[in-house]
Amino acid sequence: MSNFLQQCFNGLVSGSFYALLALGLAVIFGMLGVVNFAHGALYMLGAFGAYVLLVEAGVPFWGALVVVPAALFVVGVVLERTLIRRLTPLDPVYNFLLTFGLTLVLQDAVKREYGVQSQPYPRPAELSGSVSLGLFDYPAYQVFVLAVSVLLCAAVWVVLNRTRVGMVVRAATERPELTRALGVNVGRWVTPVFGFGVALAGLAGVLAAPMRAVNPLMGADLIIAVFAVVVIGGLGSVFGSVLAGFAIGLLQALGNLYVPALSQTLIFIIMAGVLLWRPAGLFGREEART
Amino acid sequence: MIRMLLRHTEPASRPVRSLLLATGLLLALALPWLIYPPVAMDIATWALFAAALDLLLGYTGLLSFGHAAFWGTAAYTAGLIAIHSGLPFPVAVLGGAALAAALAVPIGYLCVRNAGIYFAMVTLAFAQMIYFVANQWRDLTGGENGLQGIPRELFGLDLSDPFVFYYAGLPIVLFGLFCLWRIVHSPFGHVLVAIRDNPARAQAIGYPVERYKLLAFVLSAALSGLAGGLFAISHGFASLQEVYWTTSGKAVMMVVLGGIGTLWGSALGAALVVQLEDYLSTSGFDGIGLVTGTVFVLVVLLFRQGLWGAARQVAAAVRARRAPRPPTPAPRAPAEPMPAPSTLPR
Amino acid sequence: MRTTTRALSAALAASALLLAACGRGGPGGGDAKISGDKIVLAVLNDQSGVYADLSGKNSVEAVKMAVADFKAKYGDKAVSSNIEVISADHQNKPDIANSKAQELYDRQQADVILDVPTSSAALAVANVAKAKKKLYVNIGAATTELTGKQCNKYTFHYAYDTYMLAHGTGSAVTKQGGKKWYIVYPDYAFGQDMQKSFTAAIGASGGTVIAKDPTPFPNDNFSTFLLKAPSLKPKPDVLGTMQAGGDLVNLVKQYNEFKLRDQGIKLSVGLMFITDIHSLGPDAFAGTTFTDAWYWNFDDRNRQWADRFTAKTQTRPSFAHAANYSAAMQYLEAVQRAGTDASDDVVSELEGYQYDDMFARNATIRAQDHRVIHDVYLAEVKPKSEVTTDWDYEKILRTIPAAEAFRPASAGGCSLS
Repeated sequence: MSNFLQQCFNGLVSGSFYALLALGLAVIFGMLGVVNFAHGALYMLGAFGAYVLLVEAGVPFWGALVVVPAALFVVGVVLERTLIRRLTPLDPVYNFLLTFGLTLVLQDAVKREYGVQSQPYPRPAELSGSVSLGLFDYPAYQVFVLAVSVLLCAAVWVVLNRTRVGMVVRAATERPELTRALGVNVGRWVTPVFGFGVALAGLAGVLAAPMRAVNPLMGADLIIAVFAVVVIGGLGSVFGSVLAGFAIGLLQALGNLYVPALSQTLIFIIMAGVLLWRPAGLFGREEART
Repeated sequence: MIRMLLRHTEPASRPVRSLLLATGLLLALALPWLIYPPVAMDIATWALFAAALDLLLGYTGLLSFGHAAFWGTAAYTAGLIAIHSGLPFPVAVLGGAALAAALAVPIGYLCVRNAGIYFAMVTLAFAQMIYFVANQWRDLTGGENGLQGIPRELFGLDLSDPFVFYYAGLPIVLFGLFCLWRIVHSPFGHVLVAIRDNPARAQAIGYPVERYKLLAFVLSAALSGLAGGLFAISHGFASLQEVYWTTSGKAVMMVVLGGIGTLWGSALGAALVVQLEDYLSTSGFDGIGLVTGTVFVLVVLLFRQGLWGAARQVAAAVRARRAPRPPTPAPRAPAEPMPAPSTLPR
Repeated sequence: MRTTTRALSAALAASALLLAACGRGGPGGGDAKISGDKIVLAVLNDQSGVYADLSGKNSVEAVKMAVADFKAKYGDKAVSSNIEVISADHQNKPDIANSKAQELYDRQQADVILDVPTSSAALAVANVAKAKKKLYVNIGAATTELTGKQCNKYTFHYAYDTYMLAHGTGSAVTKQGGKKWYIVYPDYAFGQDMQKSFTAAIGASGGTVIAKDPTPFPNDNFSTFLLKAPSLKPKPDVLGTMQAGGDLVNLVKQYNEFKLRDQGIKLSVGLMFITDIHSLGPDAFAGTTFTDAWYWNFDDRNRQWADRFTAKTQTRPSFAHAANYSAAMQYLEAVQRAGTDASDDVVSELEGYQYDDMFARNATIRAQDHRVIHDVYLAEVKPKSEVTTDWDYEKILRTIPAAEAFRPASAGGCSLS
């Protein structure tokens, strides 16, 4: 029993990363109609940001947790202003291609600077032990990761549902034409939302640094899994993406336990099933797909 | 959709087209004299792959980011047939194409129900699934060792010289390109373009849009498979590289670089990318992703009509200048924006 | 953009011209003992990807060192004074490795190709060597297929392989008291092979494998398996992991998090390189045991060579650098003995040859399968507190004699003919 529960916990920790990345992808897609292929590379940049801060400036994990997302917010703003914006009036396919090219550039630039070997990043001393969760002990750091991502997702949910900004973003995400037709100025929120999505990827990267291998390719395979998560949840749905993120993490972990042969393909099999049943994803609406 | 790049240049006149065709054929025949034959063969196979992908991207308006699934499946299949049956290699290649087409039916069925960017993500995800399956199904694929030692059998001829093999493989590539040309210029191809330009209208007129898209998807996969099978035979192995997402990305890059919606452009894009990779491997410069990524970003930002598209525009401008009518303003005029495609009711 | 395109097309045109100028002729000079009046050693490896640090450009330097040492040793008596070293980057892509290998043999008149990491690329090049009847000494790849079913007359496997890694670690650790094992391995060809060799070696040395689990690949969460380890009955002494690269890093991080060492479960790694220890720092791996093909700080002979290497490259050599040096040297020595670089003559000089050099101690080039067997070492990673100089990460626990270290020639299913 406790093994099962521990496994569930593992799944939720993996799911935290899916959820944070899917959340960023979803809000960006909602506001700009852009699927950001570079999201995985920006996550990698977040992890490297933490590493560089530690090695070059001695900034510890806690500092990185604030500085890196802020820096990536700026990166996102610059990206949106200089590159993404030029293509948003066109077919979204072009921004997908653009961000694909950016991914290659970012990966290779980091690789040339730091090599492909994984870089060391210690866990913060405050979180080095394990915590007792009643039935079993669990590493404190993983508990922290799960808590942070759940809180963040909840905070975003509150902002989207309880504030004016959130209303605009949500309206623009879910009914873009209608929102514009009603005279809401969506444009001024585009850049900050893109920056916010990128900052989330950066934050996920910082969270990953102490528990995962920090190398230039760390985001490459992850992003494809996150795409599948977003397709399952429904690309237009912020709530659906987050929920699918945690759920897929959980299912994958249980898959590891019971059907290890399927553990890699499980996510894609679920995706196929969802597409068969609801082509727009579990929480998506039909229009979002065209 | 992608259409804005395509319709602004008048089709070339008949003599120009014949001249182009003759030049293209001549170049294809002369290629192994100009560059190292194995590289020439790579250019030919990738050109077919890119052109097959362009049938979807350029002519149907669907960006598939998972075509490595078909290229790779066919590579393994052709390899297995060649190893275990001893049949002539074109049969093995056709077998690979057939299996790629068969695989494309269920994947295509699930994918074509989604359009636009969704389609790209879903195809990418399915291709990743095929990659994991190939990695695990070691008895068949050799895992990360790859499927090695694929023979090149053709009625007992000695095809070990890559120079000779080029001419043995070229007919398959030309056959594939001819198929594509026929598809594009057939009534079916015109329907695809109509769907690309306005799916709602096509639907309203009474075309079963999803079925057309699915057929285009399967045809594109089959021809990608033809290329993939030939690639495996020409290299003598098939590896996981063939089903990895970077292979899909490379093909997309070729299409965009050469020019979306131009079969000639795909060939040009393939030649450029293959040559660039070959050049960088001995140049001592180790930033291949940096170079290809930057070029790609610039093309997408500034040069969306691709190299062939640009050449066509220049040609059109020259023609317009010669014509008695006042010249059209500038070659760059057409490519620019169209309002975001509205989310059409289905 | 326009300038990029122009530069690009210029580069392409230039390369096309260059290649055209080379003509399509094969290697010339039929009667000369040295083809083309020069000996060409080609290093084909990964200069930008995962194996770039382990081998990469510095292996080209190592081969150049070998050429210089060879010339210095023989002076005017050298079989040829015209010895060239060329290199190419295969980017870990087997198709590029395959085309480049053909080009190196055909166009650049390479007499031997060295290194070639990544098993799919390594095997593809073996087939090229077989077709072209030219020598190929693989150093960087781990697959035993090279000296197994896919062996051929012109292919040699020099430094290490999966059997040596797994067998060495499995039997040596068991003999040292780690009797009860729990093995986790990535579920793909490399991991499965390693697992089999490990299990066999442990059994043969009197240990038992209590449980073994395949893990997804790639994977970044190993907690399932790490949590399972202490709950197994009986409790294992050693956790054997076959993960490599980034996955290994993930696993070790989590092994330390779950504090398995404190619970009496040691960590043994199937595939680890000194570059892995260097990148993560010794503390991450402290106490871990693994098999190394060569260690620079093992004895004076190694240190002397390592110092020369470091003077050129500003880094300490990995086993792959030393192996590239040694392989190039043994190839040149064989050419010297044969008096020609004709492949068949060099192959017969190499087959069965016994020697002892800086890299390969008590070495034999096995005639049956072309596996080069030599002493290898069971190493333990030092904690940072015991590290005295840069790259001084390993404590050699045991020398595994050549005859024990590698798979018996009869077991691979190789037939050369």
